[in-house]
Amino acid sequence: MNANPRLEAVRAVQQELATLGIDPFGVQIDRILSPVEGLIDGRHTILAGTNNYLGMTFNPDCIAAARNALETAGTGTTGSRMANGSYASHRELEHDLARFYGKRDAIVFSTGYQANLGMISALAGPGDTVLIDADSHASIYDGCRLGGANTIRFRHNDPADLAKRMRRLGAEAANALIVVEGVYSMLGDRAPLSEFVRVKQEFGAALLVDEAHSMGVLGDKGQGVVEETGVLADVEYVVGTFSKSLGNTGGFCVSDVEDLDVVRYASRPYVFTASLAPATIAATRQALRTLESAVDLRQRLRENAERLHSGLAALGFTLGAPVNAVVAVLVGDKLEALRFWDHLLKHGVYVNLMVPPATPGDVSLLRCSVSAAHTPAQIDAICAAFASWNGARA
Amino acid sequence: MNHHDVVAQLIELVTPIAEGRVELIDENTGLTSELALDSLKVMDLVVAVEDQFDISVPINALAEIRTVGDFASLIQKCVGENA
Repeated sequence: MNANPRLEAVRAVQQELATLGIDPFGVQIDRILSPVEGLIDGRHTILAGTNNYLGMTFNPDCIAAARNALETAGTGTTGSRMANGSYASHRELEHDLARFYGKRDAIVFSTGYQANLGMISALAGPGDTVLIDADSHASIYDGCRLGGANTIRFRHNDPADLAKRMRRLGAEAANALIVVEGVYSMLGDRAPLSEFVRVKQEFGAALLVDEAHSMGVLGDKGQGVVEETGVLADVEYVVGTFSKSLGNTGGFCVSDVEDLDVVRYASRPYVFTASLAPATIAATRQALRTLESAVDLRQRLRENAERLHSGLAALGFTLGAPVNAVVAVLVGDKLEALRFWDHLLKHGVYVNLMVPPATPGDVSLLRCSVSAAHTPAQIDAICAAFASWNGARA
Repeated sequence: MNHHDVVAQLIELVTPIAEGRVELIDENTGLTSELALDSLKVMDLVVAVEDQFDISVPINALAEIRTVGDFASLIQKCVGENA
């Protein structure tokens, strides 16, 4: 059978990597040892690219809750909530999320990707306008495409550029949907949410904030940048994921908007996907309870982030943003980044290799995500692995 | 602003981004097929166009754009909507 010609360009990149003997996109963790350790190629490896910000994946209470749900409610739901019915626990998780954010209602999706896809495509269709930050995650771009709305990019984290584009829309601006992220996953930089809220209010538009990388991480209660900047009440839609600080899989949207429930009927990614398994829901509900009182975990995460950030800065590396749970090291070109990434792996440290077009501009990144579960010694070992690289600093 | 003027301004904007891949860029030059602009370069061009013409170009409208002339027509449409 002939190979698909559409994949030719991708195949060429894959072969180029194979020639170098490096496969950053096919890493296999043979055995997971803890939230931040695994065996890769028989080597004990510190995992510094997991997004497991609070180390929740091995939390004993979450495991017990999942085990109990597995034994009492089975392995899966085998269908979508619209066609096959919801379990009571789906709705209970939605109530938990709404209460956690102090919002009127919540909808749960089967992945974080689908939360953006499902919300944006339901809220904005043909003839509508969505304004998105240029550095938005693929799920935001794909949500716009699925909905078929006119999609306008504004310069990254630039409220003045957003305002300029809103002005150009004239009367249409009042019906527009603005989409930003609390923290951008590649560089770990925060959005100036207060300023975006001011622009939104000036034009009477709606604002959706994706807190995937900030929920559980930022704010005293762990609600994210919306809490840290005091704008939670002014944001129409807060979207998030269970697959980072909550240590599971799934996504959600919370809102005070009266007809949020109608989104369920209009959202194809909600209607046509199997719903979350009982064990996932049970573990996520427990993780949310743990997260709410996890002041100590957030404190440890902050200390670890500061330790890694200052350690790498002291080594002369250029970092993508001020201290945050995402610490991105900017590396010269793609090949250099590839070799550096492989060097780190062979020295027992796994980080994420990020190259254009997934990164902003032309920059290649070695992206670390810090966890509260890292020990100070592990953070120092990550820094030592970076220090052992003899190549150029960006 | 007529089509010819827009094409001329667009060629000025795309020339540095195309990095000399085509000696003579005209209305019929393919943005990806001949100038080999990848998705990042296309976005660089869109930003430059938006600044030059004081418009917002919807990214969903880019799917149909093949040539410099196609893009010039889209710019004219956006300028008209803005007027």
